[in-house]
Order: sequence, then C-alpha cells, then structure tokens
Amino acid sequence: MQPQVLVYGVLNGIGIGMIYFILSVGLTMIFGLMRFVNFAHGAFYMVAAYSAFAIAQWTGSVLPALVVGPLLAAAFALVSERLLLQRTYDLPHESQILITFALAILAQEAVIMVFGTLGKNVPVPQALGGIVFIGGFVYPAYRLFVVAVAAIMALAMWIAIEWTRFGAVVRAAAESSEMVNLLGIDSRKVFMAAFAFGGALAGLAGALAAPLRGVEPLMGREALAIAFVVVILGGLGSFSGALVAALLIGITQSVMSMIWPAGAHLMIYGVMTMILAFRPTGLMGRS
Amino acid sequence: MPDREHGFPNTTTVAIAVILIALPVVLPSLTLASEIAVLATGALSCTLLLGSVGLLSFGQGLYFGLGAYIAAILLRDFEAGALVAVMASVVSGAAIAALTGLVIVRRQGVYFVILTLAFAQMGFFLALAFPDITGGENGFSNVPRASVAFGHASLASPLLLYAVLATLAFLAFLFVQRIIASPFGSVLRAIRANEGRSEALGYDVKRFKLAALTMAGAIAALGGAMNTLLLNFVPLSAIDFEASEKLIIASLIGGVGAPLGALIGAGFLAAMSDFLSPIWPRWSIVVAILLILTVLYLRDGLLGLRGALMRVFKRRPAHG
Repeated sequence: MQPQVLVYGVLNGIGIGMIYFILSVGLTMIFGLMRFVNFAHGAFYMVAAYSAFAIAQWTGSVLPALVVGPLLAAAFALVSERLLLQRTYDLPHESQILITFALAILAQEAVIMVFGTLGKNVPVPQALGGIVFIGGFVYPAYRLFVVAVAAIMALAMWIAIEWTRFGAVVRAAAESSEMVNLLGIDSRKVFMAAFAFGGALAGLAGALAAPLRGVEPLMGREALAIAFVVVILGGLGSFSGALVAALLIGITQSVMSMIWPAGAHLMIYGVMTMILAFRPTGLMGRS
Repeated sequence: MPDREHGFPNTTTVAIAVILIALPVVLPSLTLASEIAVLATGALSCTLLLGSVGLLSFGQGLYFGLGAYIAAILLRDFEAGALVAVMASVVSGAAIAALTGLVIVRRQGVYFVILTLAFAQMGFFLALAFPDITGGENGFSNVPRASVAFGHASLASPLLLYAVLATLAFLAFLFVQRIIASPFGSVLRAIRANEGRSEALGYDVKRFKLAALTMAGAIAALGGAMNTLLLNFVPLSAIDFEASEKLIIASLIGGVGAPLGALIGAGFLAAMSDFLSPIWPRWSIVVAILLILTVLYLRDGLLGLRGALMRVFKRRPAHG
C-alpha cells in the first residue's frame, strides 16, 4: 500500500474516531454520574441522523440538522428520562439495561414506521461538497469539517468538565456518587441535565455521521455496540480513555476498510479482544 | 433435605414433558411447535445464566449461530447424520463459549453484559466477513434433509422432525434441571446472591462463572443446530444481534426463576410472532412494551403471574 493512501486512511480514521468519541462521551458520562447503563444511547444517535435525512429532504441542506438533531435527541432523552428511566434508578443494573434496551426497540420500530426499512443516503451539504488540498493531498471538505467540529466539541467538553460547576459535579460523582448526594446537590436536576447533554452529544454524532454513512434503521444498534467497545477499552466514566479508544477504533476501521473491506468491522472487535486479552481492564487500566 | 423448588426430577420435569407432547396437538401447525422447541432451547441458555448465576448475557446468539453453521456445514459438506451434527455443534458451542468466557469473566457487572454483546457483534461480523464459508448475507443454503444417524430414519416427516427436536429440547431441560439441583448449582446461586461473600468463602467465582458460560454456550449451540435441522438453511439472522435479543427476551418474559420459564416464554413469543406478524409487521413494539412491563411489574415473568395476581387479590380486602 502506498504511504499516501495510508495517510488518507488515518485522516479518515481520525474523523470517524472523533464521531465515535462524541457518541461515547454521553454514555460514559451518564454511567459515571449515576451508574446507569443506557442501552438506548444508540437510539439518540439514530433519531438525530434521521432528522438530518428529513431536513436534507425539506431544505436541501443537512447543515441545520447539526443544531436540530442534537436538540431533538436531547428532547427524546429528557422525555424518556422523565417518563420511564427515572423509575429504574433504584432497580438493579440488569433492569435498567433491559428497560433502555426495550426503549431502543421502540425508537427503532418508530423510525421504520415513518421512514421504512430501507437505508437512505444523506447528501453532503453543498457548501462543503468540494475538496481541499492539504500539503499535496486531496481531501473531501466535509470530512475536514467533521474533524474540525468534533475537535471544537471535544475542547468545549473538556472546558465544561474541567471548569464549570456541572463538570465539577460530574467529576465528583464519577469518584463517589453517594458523597455528591450527601453534599446536598439536587441529583434529580443533575441527572436530567446529564441525559439531555449526553443525548445531545449522541445526536450531534448522528447528524455529523449521516452524510458520511447514510441512515438505516439498524444504525442505532451498531452505534451502541461501537460506543460500548469505546467504553470497554477506555473505561466507563473516563473521558481521556474514551478519546484514545475512539481514535484507535476509528483509525483501525478506516485503514482496514482499504486493506480488507469485508473485515473492517470485524477488526474493531479483533482489536478489542486483543487488548482485553493482555489488559483486562482496558487501555487506561482502572477497573 | 430435598429441595422442592430445585429438586430433580420434580413436577416441573413432568410439566415440561407434557407441554412438549401437547404442543403439536394444541397448536395449528407442526412448524410452530418445532419453532417453539428451538427457541425454548436457545432461551434456556439465558435462563441458566440469569436465573442461576445472575449473569445477563446479550450474546447467546453467537453460540446459537455458531451451532447453526457447524451443523449446516457437517450436514451439507460432510453428509453427516443429524446426531453427529448436533453433537459437534454442542461441543463447538461449549469450546467457543469457554474461550470467549476466559476474557468475559474477568470483568463483572455491567462490563460483563457489554462484553457479551461485543462478542456477539464480533461473531456477526465474522460470519459477514467470510461469505465463502457462511454464505454471508444470502445465508447458508442447500442443507439436505438430514437422517437421524448413518442414513437411517430420514427427518422428512414433519412429525418425526418435531419428535427429534422436542427430545433434544427435553434433554437440554433435564440437563439444566440436573445442574441446578446439584451442589454446583447451589454454588451458582450463592454467587448470584452475593458474589463477594462466595469469594470470601473460598469459591473460585470466576471458574464457576466460566463453567456456567460454557454450559450455556453448549445449550445455545444445540438450539442453533436444531434450527438448522428445522429450516435446512442458516439465515444470517441466526447469528446477528436480533438472535441474541430473541433468546434473552423469551427467557425474561417466561421468567428466569426456573427452566420452565424458557419454554413458556418461547411458546408465548413464538405464538405471538406467528399471530401478530402477518397482521402488523411492527409487532416488536408489543414485545418491547411487554418487556418493560415484565421488568417493572412482573419480575418473575409469566411464571410469576400466578403469585403476582394472588398478591393483588390478597391486598384488596385490606384496602376495602
């Protein structure tokens, strides 16, 4: 393989990896905050991706979906938290997993009822449809845009986690959620905020990914599985772990899809198994 | 002291036999009865894990699919008898479950659940990446109608096929009942009740979990092999995420407290699918709502329905 092609694969991989990171951060944050495993996280991603498809159909450009998609996913997350999920906070993990899993089925069936079972393409926005030259490389502008948006979001999240009051609560809760409750913080509001924020991030990932991947009803499941691989490798509750794991998976998938397209997805899980065989607690080493 | 609930053989053993014999008489089609036997065997592997050890697996479809492919390859390409194909599937299911189990049991709680799901995804993409072996998206086709063993007793007759499937399912249920009633089974229950304390008592918890995962893998693979005998075909959906989902849902709706729950859940789910899917393709919505209701209000599934109703009726006079 030519080195140029390899560089192209790695660049694409960073873009995909950044999307995976934004997708996984909400999952890991909600777990860190309330020890809640959300099997409906992929559904947030799917809802926003489908909204991107619908918006591209109506307005001719997918760009408004970058705002509408996350808002819709956040609304979906908030409504399900208030109506259903808050009833499960006192139940065992297994019950939470099964209820959110059922919620994911409901969302998937609802999407099929509206949009049908077949996958659909989402056009790249016209303004970003061209190519750019980076030091002799030809690169699609939209992919560069994705990397830029994701990088800005990652930076914004880092600032939010490190410098805001909400971030302080999230970090404290990841260390000891009982202690945070004892400090008199209104956990109800924090949980709602976490679900809305996590849902919005998954939604942003879905809206960004739609023009690259298209939309199809099973995309939520696949996204959920990918997010799980990220948190298993990076450690549930760890942000830096999620970033490293997401980039690793994105690059693996992208490079492999040039060498062995049929096995690109398989290699994600192959890499996961190899890492776990040698480091059972994942890359960051905390259990 | 004999333990009535976990005894073996007990009235449940009889109930399972009676249901399996009654199914083809009661149901409108033999195919539906056969589907129930297959689904019940697969769901039984989830019931064993969740009911006895408290392990929630979203990945039993991996072993189900593996068993289905192994049986199909042996039947078509090696002209093996049904018995040989089934036994080879069970052994490979156990072997692969032990292998993945080595990685999975090192993590507990939610990590365990997530890992079972991740390995199931891996199995799906493995089947997809090697279409020369598995047939990929088109499925593994042209599996001949098997004979039971060495060219005798062809399974062309639907009734004989059902008899073989029901016998295999019954053997799996006997096996699980026997396991639950054994000292090994009581250690599994101890792990379920309190993992830390079992470890403190000196039990090697990981090894017990690994053993349970291996057995469950074998049972799921048996279900897969039975599926191949029934369909003469392995669709890709035998190993995808939906296969795992179906098994865990059937086991939960039936109730994981006892093996009988897997049979009841499978019967309920298969009958509902048979009845609803022609009327309303989106009938999974009903399943999802049932699942939510089961988890929130009916912790013991349909098995616990009688107890739950009794509690409601007993409470009434106190309010009135």
